[in-house]
Amino acid sequence: MEHETQMQEALSKINALADNIGTVIKGKREQAEFVITALLAKGHILMEDNPGTGKTVMAKTLASSIAGNGGHDSANFKRIQFTPDLLPMDLLGTNIFEDDKKEFIFKKGPLFCNILLADEINRASPKVQSALLECMAENQITMGETTYKLENLFFTIATQNPIEMEGTYPLPAAQLDRFFLKIHFGYADEETELSIYKNYLGIQHNLENVKQVLGMEDILFLQNQTESVFIHDELIAGVRNIIWATRKQPDILLPASTRSGITYLKCLKAYALVKGRNYVTENDLKTLSTPVLLHRLIFRTKDAKDKALAAILDVELNRLNKLSIQVAHS
Amino acid sequence: MLFLGLPTIVLVGWFIYTGNNFYSILENNFIAQTIYFSLGLFTAFIFYAYKFRFFTTTILLAFLLGILYSIIKNVTVGEFDAFFASVHFLIFSILFIVGWITGYGLSRSTIYSIIWPLLMCTCQIILVGKTSDIKASTIIASFAPVLLYTFYIIYTAALIRNTDENKKDLKWYFSARMAGFLSLLLLLLFAVFSIFQPEFKAIEKEWGGSKGKEGKEGGQNNQQSMTHENKDGSVSNNNSMSLSGSLNKSKKLVFVARLDNFFPDSTTPNPLYFTSDYYTKFDTAIQAFEIDPNMPDNDLFKPDPSKIPLFFAMTDSSVVANSFARLDRRVVNAEVYKVLLSPDAYLAPATAFFCQPISVPPEYKEQYKSAYRAKMWVSNLNSAYFIYNPAGNQALEDFQEERFQQLRKVTNYQGVDKKFLDYYTYMPADNDYDSIRILAQEITAKAKTPMDKMVAIRDYFLSKDAFGQPLFAYSDNPGIPGLPSASKLNYFLFQNRKGYCAYFAGATLFMLRALGIPSRVSSGFLTVNRSNKNPGWYWFYEDQAHAWVQVFFPGYGWMDFDTTIPDVNTEQSPQPDGTPPLNLQQPLFVADGTISSLDTLHKIISLSVKKLLFHDQNYTASTAVDISLEISLASIIRDTGIVTMQSLTKNMHITAASYAEVLKNIKATSTDSVASIFKKLTQPVPVDEIKIIDETAAKETAKKESENAKSFDWIQFAKIAGMTILFLILLLFLFPLITWLIFDTQAKSAIPGNKKAFLINRALSFYLNQLGYKNKVRSPHEYALSLDQQFGTKITTFSDLYQQIKYSKQEASEAEKNSMQPFYSNTIKNIRGKISLSKRTVAFLNINRSFQFFKKIKTDTHGA
Repeated sequence: MEHETQMQEALSKINALADNIGTVIKGKREQAEFVITALLAKGHILMEDNPGTGKTVMAKTLASSIAGNGGHDSANFKRIQFTPDLLPMDLLGTNIFEDDKKEFIFKKGPLFCNILLADEINRASPKVQSALLECMAENQITMGETTYKLENLFFTIATQNPIEMEGTYPLPAAQLDRFFLKIHFGYADEETELSIYKNYLGIQHNLENVKQVLGMEDILFLQNQTESVFIHDELIAGVRNIIWATRKQPDILLPASTRSGITYLKCLKAYALVKGRNYVTENDLKTLSTPVLLHRLIFRTKDAKDKALAAILDVELNRLNKLSIQVAHS
Repeated sequence: MLFLGLPTIVLVGWFIYTGNNFYSILENNFIAQTIYFSLGLFTAFIFYAYKFRFFTTTILLAFLLGILYSIIKNVTVGEFDAFFASVHFLIFSILFIVGWITGYGLSRSTIYSIIWPLLMCTCQIILVGKTSDIKASTIIASFAPVLLYTFYIIYTAALIRNTDENKKDLKWYFSARMAGFLSLLLLLLFAVFSIFQPEFKAIEKEWGGSKGKEGKEGGQNNQQSMTHENKDGSVSNNNSMSLSGSLNKSKKLVFVARLDNFFPDSTTPNPLYFTSDYYTKFDTAIQAFEIDPNMPDNDLFKPDPSKIPLFFAMTDSSVVANSFARLDRRVVNAEVYKVLLSPDAYLAPATAFFCQPISVPPEYKEQYKSAYRAKMWVSNLNSAYFIYNPAGNQALEDFQEERFQQLRKVTNYQGVDKKFLDYYTYMPADNDYDSIRILAQEITAKAKTPMDKMVAIRDYFLSKDAFGQPLFAYSDNPGIPGLPSASKLNYFLFQNRKGYCAYFAGATLFMLRALGIPSRVSSGFLTVNRSNKNPGWYWFYEDQAHAWVQVFFPGYGWMDFDTTIPDVNTEQSPQPDGTPPLNLQQPLFVADGTISSLDTLHKIISLSVKKLLFHDQNYTASTAVDISLEISLASIIRDTGIVTMQSLTKNMHITAASYAEVLKNIKATSTDSVASIFKKLTQPVPVDEIKIIDETAAKETAKKESENAKSFDWIQFAKIAGMTILFLILLLFLFPLITWLIFDTQAKSAIPGNKKAFLINRALSFYLNQLGYKNKVRSPHEYALSLDQQFGTKITTFSDLYQQIKYSKQEASEAEKNSMQPFYSNTIKNIRGKISLSKRTVAFLNINRSFQFFKKIKTDTHGA
């Protein structure tokens, strides 16, 4: 019972978190939910859009909303602005000779934090990109013979400018695969934008005084809870069908991997939690398909990018819609 | 280009080849000429591929060729050479230019590819007009290539113009298209040809039969024949008789007949005519005599002898009654042995009323196909010399006068049925016919009785002009009047005065009718008594087909009246009479039944008879009556061959005929029955002929009948199939509605619970899909949201609930369950409120949407 109440509490906190972000970033509820989904799925998120759409603010607000270990500080938030001349050690940290102690000590880099904002990740050289991506995958840093564990809660929010932009190093497919979700920010709609202009001071104020709505423990608890979200066998089959279909689709050059399927499932469960449910639905399957899968696939043509996945989903959603209700078993 | 060019050359080559047959100027050098043409064609193809200007280049070319032509014409030494070379060159240049223009047209101009085939068609029509061979197959064969070509060129030209030249596998694509198109076309032509084959044949016969109507150019084909050839090559009289420019005659033997002498003294020659049909109507539009099946008091007996069982008679006494002949009439017999005459034709001197198919003696089987016996109700007055020109022969004149005297008793037609009289004295109201009337009145001014008027008309045709020359002449080729629509009878009577039997008969008919004398034209065959070797036997050749007039005398009936004057120019070619089938016995006794017992030792069989013919009277017994027959002398016929007595077995179906003299004296009346006749006979009855009616033959006829029944069934079948198809189509179009009704009812009637949620979801999905609100790559929630906005419904709530029920372990609460029913009915109501009935009706006719809904989704595996 205690577990139940804890769960309920955590769910309400997630809702509060999303609302909290909403006070600063207007009209981006969906994106906020995706960010939290990635956080709960113990993954990382890549946000792509033109500069000035609120990517950085989103990451900052998220970090400020999470209370640190002591309950006073907010979660450890670091931000690295990626540039072409950035070196891996600028991220990881470096061994510095300590005059007093006559020895090299490891000076931790910005990766040792809870929430990392890797801004404009595609402007850094591939060397730096791969250093970051390794950390994201392994959750640890190896310098020489010593292995340093990263924080329990290590969540990367990477942003990138659209890859077509000048002076960028596009992330290779293998590295894109590390990001659970890739979302587009997009511009706010007309009315929201107007309200932002009218109240930009207030928003600025909100940003500086973000309430800490949930603690680190809550996040870790929720991360553990995602595993207990119920997913119906038919939906698992649905994920499998979609993944398989990408391999059959002639317009897809690089289809989805098994890992992406697992990621999909993790995200589905996390998203269900974000939506305040302990079960996954068709809606989740549909909503997450694009952010989870699209960046992992390579399409033959631009046209196919718009249509191939939609066609696959159409088929699968149709199938699921017609299924009769089967008694769920766990 | 090759696709267009090669067929063109082939067709033009063929044209030139055909053209060579008709125009001597082409000098029968079609290969070279075709090469000229193709040379021009391909030069133009290549030339205009470089986008030269058409008009300037063509005019230049024509000019060049013209100059060359004049040079050759002037330079070449020797008159003959010059002519030859210049003509040759002229042909070359014309063909080259035509080829050139065609080459340009096919490669550059869209309109030309339509005009050119049409031009080809026109050429073909001209060429076909040249042919004298009028056969459907010939004409089809000559038109088919042009038609094929026309379709082909128009199709291919369009295809080439609309094809993207950069397309991959262009050649393959092209060949496949071409092959498909050609096979389709050939199939179509073949189908048309095979389906309409009988019609074509029939038309062909029609053309062959009355070519005169066709009015082909040259005027050579205005011919007609008194008989026509049936599909199997046999001959019958025509169904109509037109007046045409010339008469076709052939010398083929049609049938042989034996005729009892008409007259009590047995020496007076028989009448001249075997009647086939009566032409009582005259079609003024086509100037042809026609058979009127509805003529009043039909006295024409026209049975089909091929359909009457052997030896059994068919009698029609109504014709005797309808002939209105009571005076000087008696019954005579005739036997007709058919050679070329159609098996279903029946010819006999008027007025026939009896037909009995008889067997042809085996030794004559090769010669004669079938035979029948006929009985006629004939007039003693009706003799060969009844009205013919006596030509000074005193005996004939006396003979005629004797009969004329008798008929002069008829002075008017009072008391004759008005309708009958009106029908047989009908004349078209026209100036042309008025002039005939005036002529008739002039001729017969002095005559008082119909008989005298007839003689006056006869004498008019035999009269001589001011120069002592015969006024009228017989001619098989009288020609036709200059104006196509002019009355041919008037032309014959007043100008040309030449014609064959139909003209004389036609003119006489209208003269008689003008005088109020009932008359009609009769057609059939004329007897020619050529030898005295076989008295009573007559040989009928095709050129003996004839037409004459019959005149009605109250009390005496219809009398033959022939005004056709003898053909003085052509002698009857020597056509020797052959040996007649000497089968003069008359089957007095014919019994049909099954053999009940068989005594081969004494050659006596016992027959269970159901049908009997005795002295030309038919008798049938309701229950079979046994009679014993003596068969020692009988010839047994099976099919058409003679078999031995061993072939007879018990229960075999046979027809036995007897010519025995002893039977002649035994008389039977119509009140007798089969049994009572048998009692009169001394048994066993000697039988002369036995025909085995094979069960297989019977089966065959049964089969034929069943086939007939089948063919009838086909119509029935087609009807049922049509109904079924219609029903299925209806069902198809009702399919969405029916499905919806089923889904709707299921959704409504289900008990609230998971199942109900599913059914509601299914019904809603189907309904919305059918109305055109299909969910396209949207999550159920998004979809529901869009629908809610549109219809003001609350599908979102339901959708979320449904997802919960479907995918979670949580049960829906009671309240939620109970909300389903009102939600469902409200939703449907809301949707109906937003979409008008007409739109919904249209949407529900869209079967495709339903099929889309039920389409099996192609995934490799379903479910987990």
